[in-house]
Amino acid sequence: MTASVAGLDRSIAVRPRARSTSEPRVVRWTLIGVALVFLLLFLVVPLVSVFAGALAKGFGPFLRGVRDPDTLAAVRLTLLTAAVAVPLNLGFGIAASWAIAKFNFRGKNLLVTLIDLPFAVSPVIAGMVFVLLFGAQGWAGPWLRDHDIRILFAVPGIVLATTFVTFPFVARELIPLMEEQGTEEEEAARVLGASGWQIFRRVTLPNIRWGLLYGVILCNARAMGEFGAVSVVSGHIRGVTTTLPLQVEILYNEYNFTAAFAAASLLTLLALVTLAAKRWVERRREDT
Amino acid sequence: MAIQVRNLVKRFGAFSALQEVSLDIASGELVALLGPSGSGKTTLLRVIAGLETPDSGDVLFDGEDAIRRDVRERGVGFVFQHYALFRHMTVFENVAFGLRVQPRKIRPPEDEIRARVHELLGLVQLDWLGHRYPAQLSGGQRQRIALARALAVKPDLLLLDEPFGALDARVRKELRRWLRRLHDDIHITSVFVTHDQDEALEVADRVVVMNEGAIEQVGTPEEVYDHPATPFVYSFLGDVNLFHGRFEAGHVQIGESSVRAHPGGSVEEGEAMAFVRTHEFEVVRERIGNGALPATVRHIRALGPRVRIELDRTDDGKMIEAEVSRAEYDALDLRKGDQVFVSARRARVFVNSD
Amino acid sequence: MKRHTVLPGFGLTLGVTLTYLGVLVLLPLSTLFLKSAGLGPSRFWDVVTAPRVLASYKLTFGAALAAALINAVFGLLVAWVLARYRFPGLALVDALVDLPFALPTAVAGIALTTLYAPNGWIGSRLAPLGITVAFTPLGIVVALIFIGLPFVVRTVQPVLQDLEAEVEEAAASLGAGRWQTFRRVIFPAVAPALLTGFALAFARAIGEYGSVVFISGNMPFRTEIAPLLIMTRLEQYDYAGATAIAVVLLLASFSLLLLVNVLQWFGRRRALA
Repeated sequence: MTASVAGLDRSIAVRPRARSTSEPRVVRWTLIGVALVFLLLFLVVPLVSVFAGALAKGFGPFLRGVRDPDTLAAVRLTLLTAAVAVPLNLGFGIAASWAIAKFNFRGKNLLVTLIDLPFAVSPVIAGMVFVLLFGAQGWAGPWLRDHDIRILFAVPGIVLATTFVTFPFVARELIPLMEEQGTEEEEAARVLGASGWQIFRRVTLPNIRWGLLYGVILCNARAMGEFGAVSVVSGHIRGVTTTLPLQVEILYNEYNFTAAFAAASLLTLLALVTLAAKRWVERRREDT
Repeated sequence: MAIQVRNLVKRFGAFSALQEVSLDIASGELVALLGPSGSGKTTLLRVIAGLETPDSGDVLFDGEDAIRRDVRERGVGFVFQHYALFRHMTVFENVAFGLRVQPRKIRPPEDEIRARVHELLGLVQLDWLGHRYPAQLSGGQRQRIALARALAVKPDLLLLDEPFGALDARVRKELRRWLRRLHDDIHITSVFVTHDQDEALEVADRVVVMNEGAIEQVGTPEEVYDHPATPFVYSFLGDVNLFHGRFEAGHVQIGESSVRAHPGGSVEEGEAMAFVRTHEFEVVRERIGNGALPATVRHIRALGPRVRIELDRTDDGKMIEAEVSRAEYDALDLRKGDQVFVSARRARVFVNSD
Repeated sequence: MKRHTVLPGFGLTLGVTLTYLGVLVLLPLSTLFLKSAGLGPSRFWDVVTAPRVLASYKLTFGAALAAALINAVFGLLVAWVLARYRFPGLALVDALVDLPFALPTAVAGIALTTLYAPNGWIGSRLAPLGITVAFTPLGIVVALIFIGLPFVVRTVQPVLQDLEAEVEEAAASLGAGRWQTFRRVIFPAVAPALLTGFALAFARAIGEYGSVVFISGNMPFRTEIAPLLIMTRLEQYDYAGATAIAVVLLLASFSLLLLVNVLQWFGRRRALA
């Protein structure tokens, strides 16, 4: 599963084309027009409608929606979840890409395929495997109950499911990048007497920093926005085990649309910041 | 530092990169490992550096076992084929790297590092480039920075992998001379890998010719060029013509001509290979004796003091490449299509006993 | 020949990788297959062929296929426009294409539902035409188009950009018209990428949950997708039933992504040839 969700989105500068290999003006503008209308309908209108929904009854209700204690608790839980899941997957991504890109060993291709596995798993199923493990009827369920440890329908379950879903993001970015950069610089550093840690910190890390940041941005966006997997393991306890996306669902199902869209607008802002940051990193990367 | 290599064996899967290779390098020598790609020369260099672990055999530095010493503790400077400069560091920081990663106890203070880096940048004549990044340098400049970086840690041994391989012809020639002069100045034991015979013959004190994982010959440039030990060395060094014939009674029969030869060794007769360098031919218009081959002039390249002539043998149509001086050429007054006779002044003959 | 022996840290990093992968991904996923194996073949068959389950599969795969096909067409168009033409706002539009990757699915779900509901901005305009989108299979397709679009655009766009101008110039010099050049030269070159993008969008759509549950209305036999049915079974503590449904779904997306791998391997081989 080498196709990467994260790795697809690169943009390269558009180069101007000669007349012999371009289309007549009419065709060109028709194609642009159709594409823009399609994007307008399917992307822009939904995006705008989130903010329209949040501000439908004015600024006051919007602010009340955002300042709702349950919503604020959901924000805190979302931040906490990302604060655990992202560093874990970052550490894993660095370790995996070092082993895979700098060394040759049997079963390497299989390992790369397995790392992509969570991308192929439906979010609902991702959450469900933890129910099978830690649920009351699950494998570890009785033992956990006897020792009074709560994983499912509690914060640890949410963190676990989120980590599972965001597992491949950083590794997927770093593996091709580090493979492309080869090992000569690291070998040179080794000959010059650098230790393993010095090689990584002074030679490898500066070379992969933009790819690393890119992976972290994508990983974080997914971690904060995950819905399906978290929905399965959360138990929907208000103010305790609801992340921000779950809070949006609860409010929406209670027909509290303004508050739902107010919470949703926070997530949409996060998405826009993610897109901007992503684009900024892409630019920096092209420059260096 | 003197280096001894003893019976090195290294395999990559089914491929035998080094087969029982032994070699002695004296302290202060500048040695070239010369051979075609796949001959094992780079592998040998990397084993000496400690970048590669041999399957068996020994490497001794000044008589001490080096195999079990990590690459970090071998005290070697290594210049990589594609330089492997740290692309995110300035030239200055690249050269300073080896000093900065030393353990705090032995690491020189900052002003000493600065002084040393400037000294080295001066040595490679690039002091004014310290603040630039590798991407802003030309190939030749990168090469010299890579060398300065390797020398910064005061290695006892300098190893260079195809040091001029990625450069264009003019820069190669300049750098070649420059490296020779640098070595004369600092006298560090140096080994470089190359597939270019001119480079090896011009720069090195001694040349090690390698083929298929084994050493074919070791000697000074004059030795390997004038007295090649094996057919491989002969064909690899210099432009050479190969003739197949039968050796009998001190002569090789090539076509209808017979060439006197001293194959060395005790072989009396057998199938032989005779090598003749382009400049070892005499080209004449009239046949003298039976040592000459009739041929037709096919192409003449009369540039500079030496004239190259391509000839087709009359008997079997195979090509002969000969080189004569301008004066000889003018005296002959050769034209395309002329019939001439070619005789070898000298031939190196290798005889297979029957 | 690659040989990297002097760099340190192989044992440590590979150990960390395998442990983390094993504990976090492989162990949990294996419970799924073990649980469904415990069901026995005949019960498994009964569960996955129950009419309600079959209906949900039909809907899930049908809607996913429809959305992926639409995305293949419009995704190619968008990729073409972004890769080949210059117009004001190009950079912004290009960045916006990734919105479905970045926007949480629940937000997309409520936004689309509100828009396409009979009283929404778009829904109210479609209602007089007799078209209902929200709470029908059509709504599910709309949500899946939103989710899948960037997969197609972002796989096809780089291929279109990297296509050598000389090849098209050669076609033009040989007398091919612009449409002929597209059909015979450009399209065959992007076809593998397009198929990859289609498969990725399809695979993602099969498992999609967040953006669909709001707009689908979740009526059994009509608008109940398979992931939602799994959710329902879990809430009823019918773990065995949920697992069986999940295994079928999972195998479908695995095979699709395997197909993607084969396609890319094939594409790389062709690129090298």
